[in-house]
Amino acid sequence: MSDYTYDEKERFDGVTIKVLGPTYEEGKPEGGHDWKSGLDTREKALDYLRTALRYWYGAEGFGSEKRKKEA
Amino acid sequence: MADELIRSIDKATLEMLEKAEKEQVSTVFSRADQIKPCPIGVEESCCKICAMGPCRMPRSKKGEEKARMGVCGATVETVVARNFARKIAAGSASHSDHAREVTETFLKAAQGQAQGFTIKDEIKLFEVALDFGIEIEDRSVTDIAIELGQKALEEFGKQHGELTYIRKAPLKRQEIWKKQGVIPRGIDREVVEIMHRTHMGVDQDYVHILEQATRCALADGWGGSMISTDLQDIMFGTPVPVVGTINLGVLKEDEVNIVVHGHEPLLPELLVTASRDPEIKKLAEKAGAKGINLAGMCCSANEVLMRHGIPCAGNFLQQELALVTGAVELMTVDVQCQMQGLQDVAACFHTKLVSTSDRAKIQGATHMEFHPDTGLDTAKKILRLAIENFPNRRGPVQIPDHKEDIVAGFSHETINYLLGGLFRASYRPLNDNIVNGRIRGVAGVVGCNNVRTVHDSAHIAMIKELIKNDVLVLTTGCAAMACGKAGLLTPEAARAFAGEGLAEVCEAVGIPPVLHMGACVDNSRILVAASAMVKEGGLGDDLSDLPVAGAAPEWMSEKALAIGQYFVASGIFTVFGSPWPTLGSDKVTRHLFEEYEEIYKGTWAFEADPVKAAQRMIAHIDTKRKALGLEKARERVLFDMAMRRNLT
Ligand code: SF4
Ligand code: SF4
Repeated sequence: MSDYTYDEKERFDGVTIKVLGPTYEEGKPEGGHDWKSGLDTREKALDYLRTALRYWYGAEGFGSEKRKKEA
Repeated sequence: MADELIRSIDKATLEMLEKAEKEQVSTVFSRADQIKPCPIGVEESCCKICAMGPCRMPRSKKGEEKARMGVCGATVETVVARNFARKIAAGSASHSDHAREVTETFLKAAQGQAQGFTIKDEIKLFEVALDFGIEIEDRSVTDIAIELGQKALEEFGKQHGELTYIRKAPLKRQEIWKKQGVIPRGIDREVVEIMHRTHMGVDQDYVHILEQATRCALADGWGGSMISTDLQDIMFGTPVPVVGTINLGVLKEDEVNIVVHGHEPLLPELLVTASRDPEIKKLAEKAGAKGINLAGMCCSANEVLMRHGIPCAGNFLQQELALVTGAVELMTVDVQCQMQGLQDVAACFHTKLVSTSDRAKIQGATHMEFHPDTGLDTAKKILRLAIENFPNRRGPVQIPDHKEDIVAGFSHETINYLLGGLFRASYRPLNDNIVNGRIRGVAGVVGCNNVRTVHDSAHIAMIKELIKNDVLVLTTGCAAMACGKAGLLTPEAARAFAGEGLAEVCEAVGIPPVLHMGACVDNSRILVAASAMVKEGGLGDDLSDLPVAGAAPEWMSEKALAIGQYFVASGIFTVFGSPWPTLGSDKVTRHLFEEYEEIYKGTWAFEADPVKAAQRMIAHIDTKRKALGLEKARERVLFDMAMRRNLT
């Protein structure tokens, strides 16, 4: 994509700067993006559940690295 | 005409109402004009549970010393609490009986006895099996699924112990429930106990009655509804964002239009499969149609939209109006929210109304019962009936030229993935953006349409006010469809309607400012998402610490009250629009609106004006932000008259 749009915004110190505007491709997707399709073995699936849904199934910690105590 | 009522903010609805009026077709709108709500019933201060009544207990007039009571001596508090609890029992029963049907079909599918059904989402199967403590390692998918089906079925009839999914809630929340003694034992048991306790002469302490109402509602949200959502995901696939279209304009003049209406997605799934059968397509062409056009209505619409991108014809108040187009060959109905008035409207046109559940028949409608073992055959039979009916259209059809693009299908799993990607999936980016203030908080705006409000207006006014103020909105049910019709469910809506901070986040992630999370049974997804936010860290230790709020501004169904009660009991401030069903008793209302804060750290509120209600939600979110030590509350963007006019 070459035709980027830019917005003008005020920086924290008051200086006006140019920032990149929204960038998405025009048109509609053909179907839903099935992000689970890459997890094609049971091992990968279980690994994924234990890391991505670690709030319930993770063994290595609680939530993100910022949480010290289980909630 | 000066006294003409504004009925809807949706142009397609208005166009069809005009047609209905011209052709003298009775609809929910015209019937609402003829029947005014009973002023005593609307405050729930009448009791008719025994044959010594009905006992009517309107609020005491000024100067009256003694409070009114029923023939048996029941106080108005008892009566109002009984009525409220019974509604929650009915709402919970509806979601949970839907869940039972899904569970039984799931078990049959696992055993290879449900025609056309399989296990589509193995990862979700493993996920739910972990929830239920089922061994996975080397077992076959069939074995795991059968054990899961059996264990899920046991949740309904369990007499003692705790529902499995209770363990998904944050630990602090579980402690609160334990302390209050409201952890549900079994789904059916809690419904039955409400019916018993509210029978004549049993439980006569409104606080005690409402405690059981809470236990029952929790059995709905963290039990029946959650089971239904999860098992449907396993059978049909966990929703991923999908593009669809919505409103009556999705009907097609030159195709066989079939509208699937109701709540259970079992038959609709098979209709989707069957409609793609080349033999069926050929039959449609032979009948002179260009093809088969399947469209959804109410929550069945949400289900097939999220999983297949099937277009959505409309929400609750549009069900009769879809038939008024004269373009619908057949409408299927199963359970919940289908009006009996449909058959009369169908009779004015050529439409065949087909009831498909063993739980619900409508007089005059054709009954073609769905059973999982012969489901695909039934689906094909229904499609053939619709095709045969295509040449029978009477008069010219009129399809409103209104439809909108939408993106739907934001399951908890998908949000988790979208925010962090496959290998870093987490709610961290959401929590971080709440902490840094780009997102002020999160609101769940859900629920029905109610003909006593202007169709869709309260949803849209409330949600626009919320997103303008950087509150990310999660939505389900008919509220979600209202958002779709108003153009709020596309990523582009972020720039057009959301505040600067929320818009930035939506653009970075590529999501709309309002996330369509499914049918009303899928409010359980909101509970899971909120629990994940707590567990992620940085926003307190309990659901009640989160800067979140819930609302149902156009509610009408008993299910909405069950949903509200489990939101509140989960620690979430929840505001409902008109009417509020405990106004007959100040004490009961105070208990729900004020004393619940002490007990559950979440309360009910009532506010008829949707913009004011949104402002109360924002104020609540700001209070929670302050308690978390997150910056000073920021300026609110209040809508002026010109901005409000633009809402319609
Ligand atoms: S029973 Fe109650 S709600 Fe029904 S008509 Fe009588 S007073 Fe009204
Ligand atoms: S239970 Fe009491 S209040 Fe209710 S109808 Fe019977 S007598 Fe009247």
